[in-house]
Amino acid sequence: MPLLKVENLKVYYPIRSGFFRLVRDYVKAVDGISFEIKEGETYGLVGESGCGKTTTGRTIIGLNKATDGHVYLNTNGDQVDLVKLSRKEFRKYRQDIQMIFQDPYSSLNIKKRVRDIIAEPLRNFEKLTPEEEEQRVIDALEKVGLGPDSMYKYPHQFSGGQRQRIGIARALVINPKLIIADEPVSALDVSVQAQVLNFMKDIQKEFNLSYLFISHDLGVVRHMCDRIGIMYKGRLVEEGTAEDIFENPQHLYTKRLLSAIPNINPKKRYENQRLREQINREFVEKSREFFDEEGRIYDLKPISSTHSVAIP
Amino acid sequence: MSQKPLLQINHLKTSFRIGDEYYAAVDDVSLTVNENEVVAIVGESGCGKSALALSIMKLHQPENTKIEGEIIFNGTNLVPLTIEEMNKFRGKEIGMVFQDPMTALNPLMRVGQQIEEGMKNHLKLSKEEMKKRAIDLLDKVGIPNPERTYYRYPHELSGGMRQRVVIAIAIACEPKLLIADEPTTALDVTIQAQILDLLKDMQKEMQTGIILITHDLGVVAEMADKVAVMYAGEIVEFADVETLFTNPLHPYTRSLFNSLPSAEHVQDRLHVIQGMVPSLKNLPRKGCRFADRIPWVDRSAHEENPEMREVEKGHWVRCTCWQHFDFPDEAEVKSYAIT
Repeated sequence: MPLLKVENLKVYYPIRSGFFRLVRDYVKAVDGISFEIKEGETYGLVGESGCGKTTTGRTIIGLNKATDGHVYLNTNGDQVDLVKLSRKEFRKYRQDIQMIFQDPYSSLNIKKRVRDIIAEPLRNFEKLTPEEEEQRVIDALEKVGLGPDSMYKYPHQFSGGQRQRIGIARALVINPKLIIADEPVSALDVSVQAQVLNFMKDIQKEFNLSYLFISHDLGVVRHMCDRIGIMYKGRLVEEGTAEDIFENPQHLYTKRLLSAIPNINPKKRYENQRLREQINREFVEKSREFFDEEGRIYDLKPISSTHSVAIP
Repeated sequence: MSQKPLLQINHLKTSFRIGDEYYAAVDDVSLTVNENEVVAIVGESGCGKSALALSIMKLHQPENTKIEGEIIFNGTNLVPLTIEEMNKFRGKEIGMVFQDPMTALNPLMRVGQQIEEGMKNHLKLSKEEMKKRAIDLLDKVGIPNPERTYYRYPHELSGGMRQRVVIAIAIACEPKLLIADEPTTALDVTIQAQILDLLKDMQKEMQTGIILITHDLGVVAEMADKVAVMYAGEIVEFADVETLFTNPLHPYTRSLFNSLPSAEHVQDRLHVIQGMVPSLKNLPRKGCRFADRIPWVDRSAHEENPEMREVEKGHWVRCTCWQHFDFPDEAEVKSYAIT
C-alpha cells in the first residue's frame, strides 16, 4: 500500500466580483491530479511557476483547503482521507507529514533560538520534560551535522546552508514519514545545494523517509527523484520514472521543459538553440491539441507500466 | 570577431568600509572585454562578482566605498569621473540588466515612460520619435502587442515580460557594453532559455560586448565566449569557454563543476566544497585564498603570493596548487571536515 495516495485532487479559488461579491468563476489552481508516493520513495513535482505544484504540496499538508478529491495517508495499515478530516482530527496525522520551505532566510523565526525553533513541533505533539526535549533537539541537530552548541544561537548566526539544515532538523525532530520539500535548494549556491541534497539523500536512507520534492530545477530533480510528475496549468501532463521522463519524454510540454535546460557543453550551444526554437514553434502550433473540448488538459493514459502521458 | 578592447580593467580594487577600516571585496582584478564578446564572471555569492559589476557602473555609495585601479572604457578612465560625467556613460554607453525585474522597475511608472527615460537624457528625439522607438524596442525584445504594453504598469506583466522590459531599457540607447547581473536567476527554465536566446540575438545584431554575471555554469556554457572564475575577490581562472569546460584546472573551478547535479547523467553523490566563502572581514589576504577549503592538499603546493599564469594559450590560472589537486574520497574529506 502506498504511503500517500492523492486522488483527483482539486483546489479552486473563487473569483468574486460585482453585486454582493458573487462568485463569478473559479481559478483552477489544481484541477484533478492523482499520484502515489511509496515508502522510501522520492516523488518529484515539476513545472513552471504558477502551475500549481506548491498548492498541491500545501494542500496535502493541510495549509490549503481542497475543493474536492482525496488525500489518503497510510498510517499503520489504515488509510485515512486527510481531506475529510476536521482541523482537530487532522492534528493526529500532522506529525507524519512535515515540510521544508524554500527560503531558509524567511522560514526561521529570527527572534527565536535554534533550540526553540526545533523544539516547537515537539512541544506541539509530545509532552516531554525539558531534559528529554533538550536531548531530542541535540539528536536532531546531530542528524543534520550541527553541534550542540548551536542550540543557543540565533538563525542569523548561520550561513544559508546551515539554516536550511536547521529547517530540516525541525522537520525531522518528530520522526515524520513524509517530508514535503518545496524548492528546498533554489535559494542556495551550487556548493551549498550539493551539501543539502547529499544530506537529504543520507537521511532518507537512514529513516526510510519519503519525499515529495517540488522543484523547477530539472537537474536537481533528476538527481533526487525516483518518479516524476510534470505539471502544467494545474494538471499532470506526464508521469513516469526519472528515466522515462528524461530519456523518453512524450508530451510536447515535457520536451519543451527539457530543451530549456542550459546545456553544459558549450560546443552544442547553437544546436540547442535551434532545437529549442523548433520545439517552441511546434509547441505553439500544437498547443490546442493538449486540451479537450472543454479546454481541459487530457487525463493521463498509461503507455507503459510506469509511464503515462496526457494525450487524447 | 574583432579584437578591439572595449573595456579594460587594470588592477581594480573595490573596498567597502566596515567600522573604520576598508576591506577589499574586489582585489586586484584585471580583465579585458573586447567588442562583440561575451565575458562571463562566475562564482558563488559573496565572491565579489556583483561588486565588480557595480564598480564599473560606479553605483556604489561613494562615502563608504573606495575604488582603486583603472577602468578604461573606450579610452576613458571611469574611476576618477564625477557623478555628472559618469551619467553620460550610464545608459548611453554602458547598459545594465539587473537581476530582479520586480525591484529594478519603478512600480509607479508606465513601462513606456521608463524606457524613454534613458532616451530623454541621452538622445535628442521628439516625443513621437521616442514613443515610436520605445514601441520598436518592446517589439524587438519579443513582447506581444507592444502598443498596449507601452501603457502598462510593471505589475501587469509576468516575470519574463518584466525582464524583457528591463532588457529593453538597457539597450534603449544602443550601448556598446551591456552588464547583465544574474539576468535569469529569478526566472523559470523556459523563460530563462527565451531570455538567453534573446540576449544572444541582440548581441549578434548590435555587436555589443556583454559582461554576464552568473552562478549558473549552464548559462555560461550557453552564452559566453570567455569565462572568468572569481573566488574571494580574485579571478582564479580565465579562459575561453570551450577550454574552461573541457579542461578546468583551478581546484575551485573543478569543485564547482563537480557539485553540479546534471540532467544528463546521474551520479549518486555530489561533491561538496568544504567550509564556505569567507566573509569580507575574514578574507585571507595572504597566500592562496582557496587553500582553507581544500585542506587535504599540502600547504607547500600553494604559492606564497599566488599569481595568474598562462598555462596554455589564453588559459590563465592562479596559484600552483592545481598541479597537485585531486578529489579525495569521501572518508578522507570527512577527516578534514571544517566546523
